[in-house]
Amino acid sequence: MMRIVLTMKERTNPHIPIEAEKINPAFLMWGTDDLTVWEGNKERRLDEIFEVEVEGTATSVNEVEVVLRGDTSRVKRIGEYMDGGRITVEGNVGMHCGNFMAAGTIEVMGDAGGWFAREMQGGAIICHGDVGHYCAAGYRGEKKGMRGGKVEVFGNAGDFTAEHLFGGEVVVHGNCGDMPGVDMQGGYLTIHGDCSRPCGNMTKGKCTVLGCVSEMPPTFKKEGEVEGPDGLPLTHFTGDVANRGKGNLLVRHYQYLE
Amino acid sequence: MIHEDMICPFCGCLCDDLVIETKGTEVVRVDNACTLGSHKLMNAGKHRLKGPIMRDSGQWRDASYEEAIEYAAGILLDADRPLLYGWSSTQGEAQGTGVSMAELLGGVIDSTTSVCHGPSILAIQEVGHPGCTLGQVKNRADLIVYWGCNPTEAHPRHMSRYTTYADGYFLENAFRDRKLILVDVRKTETASIADEFVQVKPGGDYAVLSALRAIVRGREDVVPPTVAGVTKEQLLRVAALCKEAKFGALFFGVGLTMSPGKYKNVRNAIELVDELNRHTKFTLTPLRGHYNVYGSNEVFTWMTGYPYAVDFSRQIAFYNPGETTAVDLMARKECDAALIVASDPGAHFPKKCLEHLASIPTVLIDPMHTMTTPLVKCQIPTAVTGMDAPGTAYRMDGVPIHVKKFLDLGYPTDTEIIGKIFEKVKEVRHP
Repeated sequence: MMRIVLTMKERTNPHIPIEAEKINPAFLMWGTDDLTVWEGNKERRLDEIFEVEVEGTATSVNEVEVVLRGDTSRVKRIGEYMDGGRITVEGNVGMHCGNFMAAGTIEVMGDAGGWFAREMQGGAIICHGDVGHYCAAGYRGEKKGMRGGKVEVFGNAGDFTAEHLFGGEVVVHGNCGDMPGVDMQGGYLTIHGDCSRPCGNMTKGKCTVLGCVSEMPPTFKKEGEVEGPDGLPLTHFTGDVANRGKGNLLVRHYQYLE
Repeated sequence: MIHEDMICPFCGCLCDDLVIETKGTEVVRVDNACTLGSHKLMNAGKHRLKGPIMRDSGQWRDASYEEAIEYAAGILLDADRPLLYGWSSTQGEAQGTGVSMAELLGGVIDSTTSVCHGPSILAIQEVGHPGCTLGQVKNRADLIVYWGCNPTEAHPRHMSRYTTYADGYFLENAFRDRKLILVDVRKTETASIADEFVQVKPGGDYAVLSALRAIVRGREDVVPPTVAGVTKEQLLRVAALCKEAKFGALFFGVGLTMSPGKYKNVRNAIELVDELNRHTKFTLTPLRGHYNVYGSNEVFTWMTGYPYAVDFSRQIAFYNPGETTAVDLMARKECDAALIVASDPGAHFPKKCLEHLASIPTVLIDPMHTMTTPLVKCQIPTAVTGMDAPGTAYRMDGVPIHVKKFLDLGYPTDTEIIGKIFEKVKEVRHP
């Protein structure tokens, strides 16, 4: 096993974002000397920004564990294109964590920024705090968002969670903001808390809301009652009829904007 | 002196039939313009800053153009994440120089689009733009829909030049033949002349658009009796009006782009138009505000591939509204220097953003004292495009128009000033 601990150093201006797609087991397992990250418009060596500690060696990416410590709330693109291994972020993490991730595990103990697990294809990504907007969504203009893998958020998620969801599973244990699962085309989205306007324009997939839906979209057809995962009843809708959609939306309580 | 066929540099209509009479450096008469345009043009030479000003230990002092340009280049070169914001009320030529400078600096360039019709562009990037020029609307449209906008007060000549009150080549009695539908959260002036006024509850546009799409598809059975304050009967009437029209044109304003759901509202409107095109001809056009905000999108797109919020910090163009837009950069305190050109964030941005703007070195290029002036360290006055400088501007339907000058007040143009700052930047980055 190889364990790499990256601890953020003090910075003159802690607000400048750092773009660090090189913080990925696939790069780090071959050594950290040549790796660079971008601080604003300046390219820096990895060890200018982080204290780097490496223990052990690895023969495959799956034997690599990366731990991030310190104030990493402005570090973007951690685990982008990750294809194996494990990343643990002990604090908060910036935007685009786990972009296009295909395999492996990312665990964030604090909060995560926007575009968490954007266009993820496989693997598992967990956030113990809150996540920003566009969790498990797609890039601007992209027709397909997350395509595979599992995203689990234990806190709340922002607006447009699982926008354009195409495959895989997204579970939010807290509340979601506005329009979760909008333009959803497949996959599973489960929201344990409340949300507003879920699944507008959905064509396929399944969304379950165990809390209360406010401003329920008016273009879903009520099909009847079904039993939810907790044994309590849920109202089953299909739609979005505005789009000839064949998606399933299951909600505990709902309210139209009349 | 009488200047004919002048272009109004106020809103996205870019009216091109103005007659302006000047005596020396005074404007004495403006014909054909609306109240907004007349007011701007009648005061063309007034309220201008005489020369650059700089802040020195809390006090303003006069500075030379050379000193101000040197200072602007210096702060931009020293920054790790410089922001170049504004660009909607200036000439296309200045916008182009700004993009080149942002690229060399490794900065972020954003226009006021991000706080007005940015969501429209995001929606267009998702599902396309069923648009046309305003000439097509004028000559063919027998149904006009204004959604989340109030042209009577914000684009006063839009209705007389292109829609309700305009003659149409293919319409016998345009005024009587053209129907008007207005959708808004409040009863505005425009509502008094609308054939159908649809009053939506705030934040209910998405639901109403979805319901209309379902009705046009023949699925009114799922639509509840009221949707966001609008009765199903009225929705059925509106859908029928749209389907019966020979040529419909939907115009929308920031009431749609900046209400909850933002670009998803616009996407839903585009998809309604798409659906209506299975029955008749229907188009959609955003009612753009500043006279050359569309130009900033055009110029940025042909130079970088992206219409606004372009981040060059990694020496390639990256675009992600919400991450690389001016409001977000300021709210997260990311930018460490800013060049504000031809816009007034001081009057429009959230307080949190302005607090950050006031704490970093900022240069403003603007002819007059604005609400942004108290927040900056240096201001450079320039000529106003369409008054004392000519240039290129794009109308709201994407038609480029050469904007003319009718005054000579001796100020340098935005292109000249930004060009000089760019020269200084090049001396350091490409010695």
